[in-house]
Amino acid sequence: MKLESTKPTTIRQPKNEKEPALGGTLASVFLLGFFIIFAWVSVYFLFLHRL
Amino acid sequence: MVQPLEKVDRRDAKLALAHMVVAFTALALGGLAGLLQTLVRSGKFELPAGISYYTILTTHGVLLGLVLTTFFIIGFQFAAVSRTTGALSSGSRRFAWIGFWMMTIGTGMSAFFILTGKASVLYTFYAPLQAHAGFYIGLALVVVGSWVSGFAMFAHYARWRKAHRGEASPLLAFMSVTNMVLWLVCTLGVAATVVFQLIPWSLGLTDRVNVLLSRTLFWYFGHPLVYFWLLPAYMVWYAVIPKVIGGKIFSDSLARLAFILFLLFSIPVGFHHQLLEPGISPFWKYVQVVLTFMVVIPSLMTAFAMFATFESYGRSQGAKGLFGWLRKLPWGDARFFAPFVGMLFFIPAGTGGIINASHQLNQVVHNTIWVTGHFHLTIATTVVLTFFGASYWLIPHLTGRVMTKAMNRLAIIQTVVWAVGMTFMSGSMHLAGLLGAPRRSAFSTYGNSPQALEWIPYQIAQAVGGTILFIGIILILVIVINLAFFAPKGETEFPVAEAAAPQERAALALENWKLWLGLVVALILIAYTVPLIDIIQNAPPGSKGYKLW
Repeated sequence: MKLESTKPTTIRQPKNEKEPALGGTLASVFLLGFFIIFAWVSVYFLFLHRL
Repeated sequence: MVQPLEKVDRRDAKLALAHMVVAFTALALGGLAGLLQTLVRSGKFELPAGISYYTILTTHGVLLGLVLTTFFIIGFQFAAVSRTTGALSSGSRRFAWIGFWMMTIGTGMSAFFILTGKASVLYTFYAPLQAHAGFYIGLALVVVGSWVSGFAMFAHYARWRKAHRGEASPLLAFMSVTNMVLWLVCTLGVAATVVFQLIPWSLGLTDRVNVLLSRTLFWYFGHPLVYFWLLPAYMVWYAVIPKVIGGKIFSDSLARLAFILFLLFSIPVGFHHQLLEPGISPFWKYVQVVLTFMVVIPSLMTAFAMFATFESYGRSQGAKGLFGWLRKLPWGDARFFAPFVGMLFFIPAGTGGIINASHQLNQVVHNTIWVTGHFHLTIATTVVLTFFGASYWLIPHLTGRVMTKAMNRLAIIQTVVWAVGMTFMSGSMHLAGLLGAPRRSAFSTYGNSPQALEWIPYQIAQAVGGTILFIGIILILVIVINLAFFAPKGETEFPVAEAAAPQERAALALENWKLWLGLVVALILIAYTVPLIDIIQNAPPGSKGYKLW
């Protein structure tokens, strides 16, 4: 592998003055996570029930 | 001054359109077969003229799962590559056409043997079910044709990189190439079983076939195939939808990293389709289940990026409150609405996938119609609605036309019809599957056994859903034919979004193909070498072929 070909990867980025407000995104991914856990656990209990 | 729109080269547009013609023809025929299947499964309808249920099942699966998807994806990717990295060279274009014709001839051959009832071996064409050799040879032609197209894309990409040393390639081009690399690596498995096992066996050159080996090679291909379908939908989500809504790509680097993770972790995972298969050691099943769960990471990264893109745009438009940004999205624009509904359906679809891949939970749903319900959410809703949404700008862009307001309204209706039909059909498949209803079966009542009779209401709901979905297919065909031939002449944009932070240069390390391909090969070798040796060395006597239809 040629080292020089990967050199430009270290591009300095100016610091963002302000992070975007993403409270809704945080809430959405939590809701998504809860849905996944709820569905998984439901089928897992069905599995246990049928043992 | 109005800037001229950046257009796909006219000759490349013709190439992409040719792929679309085959894709939508497959949708029409395969969709009709799907409607017939759900009617038969309701227990209230019999196929006329002695047509076998398994013939239409194979028609439906092969035409929609393999032909519609592969042709749409390759056509879309040629358009995307041409739009973002310039017109194909005449050499690349010639190879792309050779690939197209090989795939088309192969499709015609396979379709002939399926429709004449000589290849009712279902979509997975598992041995020891044995089809006419022409079916396998046709499929092999489709795969080899797609390789030729893939190499045409790679050659074009390599030329662009040579001319732009030190630059990251445009996001859509990078994603198209990643998807074709994934396709090439995974189709080696299906090509191996078709060329070395199934064709000689169906021609009578060999008497028996190693069933487990053929199924393992099929699933080495079959799972990444799902990602080959999904990644072009993700291309639209990451790189097109932000532009359609008027926003920016949340993070170019995150999108590229997600694609690389899909490339790495979607291949060495086929055993999670074979969790109940005897003959594979539990340890190797466990290893591949762990690798399967690694694929959850880029999927969740994608979900986060989509929420963040929508929220960033909504806030830039003055949205207030936790979810106020949802109101700012362009709900009346079918180019956004159809893929968005596809994204929503991916939430239960992805969740179902996690359930399927968990070993204990797989025992609840294995070979039930739950699985059919699952992939009708992933491929037949998430992916297909995104492809429909892309067609609303891609086809008029390629044909030099514009979508009218009336067609946009029809496209919104089409999306709603699809969502309602699929909720009925896939929802009832999931529920019936949890009650034990099997998939891949023409029977509905099983001699009026009490357990089977419990499934009937769900199977009627499937037929209702299937009928609504067929109306959806008629609507999309009306829209596509209008956009291709009858819509008013004009210029339609091929939307390509910019990253939110222009100074954010994607790390060139993400295009270090030697590194990523090396890791892909290493992971495949780790996951498959020992079990494959075991499957070959300790194989029982092979099976002769069966034609049970």
